[in-house]
Amino acid sequence: MTASILTVDDSPSLRMAIKIALTGAGYAVTEAGDGVEGLAKAKGAKFDLIITDLNMPNMDGLTMIRELRKDPAQCGTPILFLTTESDDAMKQQAKAAGATGWLVKPFVPEQLLKVSRKVLGR
Amino acid sequence: MSGGDPIAAFRVEAGDLLDQVEQGLLDLTHRLDDRDLIDAVFRGLHTLKGSGAMFGFDALASFTHHCETAFDRVRKGLAPATQGLVAVILSAKDHMRALVDGDGSGLEATGAAILAELQREVDAAAGAPTPTPSAPVRKGWRLTFYLPPESMANGTNPLMLLDELRELGECTITARTDRLPPLAELNPVECHVGWDVTLFGNVSRDDIDDVFLFVMDDMELVIEELGGEAEAPAEIVEAPVATAVAAPESTGPAKAATKTGESVRVPAERLDELMDRVGELVIVHSRLSQLANGQGGDMVLRSISEEIERLVSELRDTMMVLRMVPVATLFGRFRRLIHDLARETGKAIELSTEGEATEVDKTVIERLADPMVHLIRNACDHGLEPEDERIAAGKPATGHVRLSAHQAGGEVLITIQDDGRGINRERVRAKAESQGLIQPGQQVSDSELLHMIFHPGFSTAAAVTNLSGRGVGMDVVKRTIESLRGAIDITSNPGEGSKVVLRIPLTLAIIDGLLVRVGEGRYVIPLAAVEECLELSLEEDLRSRGRSFITLRDRLVPFLRLREMFETGTRPDPHQKIVVIATGAERVGLVVDQIIGSHQTVIKSMSPLHQDVAAFAGATILGDGGVALILDVVQLVLAGQQQEERLRAAG
Amino acid sequence: MPLVEPMQEAHIQTVPWDETGHLEVLTFDLGDETFALEAVLVREILDLLPETRVPGAAPLVHSVVNFRGKIIPIADLRQAFAMAPAEAATLDSRIVVIEIALGEEPLQIGIRTDKVHEVATLAETASEEPPAVGMRWRRQFVRTLVRRDDGVVVLPDLHAIFAAHLGDSAIAAAA
Repeated sequence: MTASILTVDDSPSLRMAIKIALTGAGYAVTEAGDGVEGLAKAKGAKFDLIITDLNMPNMDGLTMIRELRKDPAQCGTPILFLTTESDDAMKQQAKAAGATGWLVKPFVPEQLLKVSRKVLGR
Repeated sequence: MSGGDPIAAFRVEAGDLLDQVEQGLLDLTHRLDDRDLIDAVFRGLHTLKGSGAMFGFDALASFTHHCETAFDRVRKGLAPATQGLVAVILSAKDHMRALVDGDGSGLEATGAAILAELQREVDAAAGAPTPTPSAPVRKGWRLTFYLPPESMANGTNPLMLLDELRELGECTITARTDRLPPLAELNPVECHVGWDVTLFGNVSRDDIDDVFLFVMDDMELVIEELGGEAEAPAEIVEAPVATAVAAPESTGPAKAATKTGESVRVPAERLDELMDRVGELVIVHSRLSQLANGQGGDMVLRSISEEIERLVSELRDTMMVLRMVPVATLFGRFRRLIHDLARETGKAIELSTEGEATEVDKTVIERLADPMVHLIRNACDHGLEPEDERIAAGKPATGHVRLSAHQAGGEVLITIQDDGRGINRERVRAKAESQGLIQPGQQVSDSELLHMIFHPGFSTAAAVTNLSGRGVGMDVVKRTIESLRGAIDITSNPGEGSKVVLRIPLTLAIIDGLLVRVGEGRYVIPLAAVEECLELSLEEDLRSRGRSFITLRDRLVPFLRLREMFETGTRPDPHQKIVVIATGAERVGLVVDQIIGSHQTVIKSMSPLHQDVAAFAGATILGDGGVALILDVVQLVLAGQQQEERLRAAG
Repeated sequence: MPLVEPMQEAHIQTVPWDETGHLEVLTFDLGDETFALEAVLVREILDLLPETRVPGAAPLVHSVVNFRGKIIPIADLRQAFAMAPAEAATLDSRIVVIEIALGEEPLQIGIRTDKVHEVATLAETASEEPPAVGMRWRRQFVRTLVRRDDGVVVLPDLHAIFAAHLGDSAIAAAA
């Protein structure tokens, strides 16, 4: 069964780049434009992986992750967040909020696939 | 492998690996110090172990591990290869095959026994008692880790981390449950299990850190390097990962590359389907050709039709080639058989092969296997004499069996020859008479007498041994060969040996034929069997009433009037033709009313209800949709011979 | 000495009535008799095709036709029922292609008929065992006779017919 991935980011070009890379590898990708939409979509369907930016309008990534982890249905779902290299503090915060791992921006598609595969196992 | 069942794919590949290991070991028995062979066997065992572990064949992996370890000692020069060691590994290989095919249950005792014997052989070879072959001390790491309890809920999957470690090298993993809270307090989404991992391989600390990248800050990790001795086996898991990972990827086209990367595995049914399509193409082209060359056909259409004919012909030839498999695969199996037979009979037997590269249609190979096994067993059991008899007869003590294959005309000839005592004519004669096949004193030709051994229930073996069975084999051999539209020739010289030649037509599905008319029906004669065509004028036909021979370049060739044989009830055509066909050294002429032309045809099998009609080997559909029956050349030659002998006997 | 011819060995094939005692059949004419075969066996009904004689084959299956690229035998049931050979084909003549298991594998066979009727439902209650004597055909070739308003319908026993006419070797070859 193909793995389904939810990508949450307010940048359409970044969403598109991620979607292209992931669909090319055989994953099924759903998009959301901010934390609110991300939360709604995640609750609507069970995803195998959620990739989210942290800096978004309406609801930022950290809040969305915290809200997601409150939902027992999301227990165990891997969540990756996008971060810039130097932001160690942010990494700690995100992990405390319940994120599984991260992806450092800017990234090449291979890196995205490698990390996705790592947390998905397929 | 369509649909991507990785377990099935692994079984196929494991089977191949085991065959290779076996061949290597058998070669090794003749050249015990051949380093390349030793390395090849070791590599095979190693790959098998790695792949086995990846697919969950744990019993196989751990068993193979011990064999690999023992063989590693040989590879490193710590112990010489001995016949005994090779013999044990051969039996170990059989055990591995059982583990691959089954689920490993109930085989523990056998496995343990083999390993114990393996140990003895290794000790004996090294000349000194050695400690139990545990895993050779290699480079690697030993680590213990605990994840933060909330990590699973936050999306970290410890099993995936363990899988990543396995990808780095061979791992021994045990779980630690010392931190599990009592059941009443256990929160199922929390992770309290820890793990001890011993990782073998040329792995760096960075590689390990990479695995734990996301949890490094929050986890407990205790890690130390293993004390290293000699170098670890270099390839580790490269090869098995490459093949193992290729199989489960069923998103793309269902292909898996074999290790050489040069060939592609295709399920046999796909080839058959392709063959059917090509066959239909041949038929449809035939109709196009009729149209193009007929009354209203125009030049352009004709040239297109010819071009298509050329392409179809090339496609057909390519298809034929695709299905061809070298007989080496078949002969390879028999080396093991001879090895075992030699041990069981206590005779020294040597096998030589020739023409292993000769190619035969895939389906034919599979059906030839059993008949050949029987013939080889016969040769070893009954044909070859025990050592003392051989020496007394002035022969070398080692008996010799020779398998050879080559193509001739439209056939493949496979020969099984031995230098034993030959077939005892008197015994065959006595048995035939006692079975009522011939009358005492009745004259039979030598070849007819020898062919009697193919009668059901016929076995002149003084002692029916376990090996050859009760002699029910020979008639099955004959039937199998005939079902492949082939024939068997036997020659034998008393005291010198016997030779059995299996003749199989080269292609099963499409043949080039000569289309002829007899009465109102049309028939196809396989072109490969046609030697020449002659005219038979009406006068000559009348003249040869009561005789059925023609003189062809100083030889008398019997001929059959198909019109009579098929009871067409029609008058002969004024311009009858004789088509002279031949199989082997025998020939017969077939009188037909008209030769229509050469015709490429797809052989369709007859309904089982018509299997017993001897004269026909199949049927084909012509361009106009009509049916033409394909003449069975072998049967017709036989009929011609019988007619000849009858007439000769009648004086 | 028995007065009545002892019954031949038990029917090789029994009539597969369903649980309500009915059977769907295809009925067809051969000469002036009406025969029926289980509808489930019927694969196709074709207009007559050019037949190719197979010299040396048993008279029951003395020719073959090209049925969609497959060579299938044509069974002439008139042979089994000692009827005169067919006159020339008429507009109504058809070949009924059936698929039956004569051995291990299912075989496709074409049955030549003079006329094919509709699919009908026969009732077990209207069926009778063929009489032990007095029938003009071999008892074992008939499974049962069924009475209808317009006459009697014969359900032949194909297994028995083929076994008898072809000999066991051919049936064994089919297995």
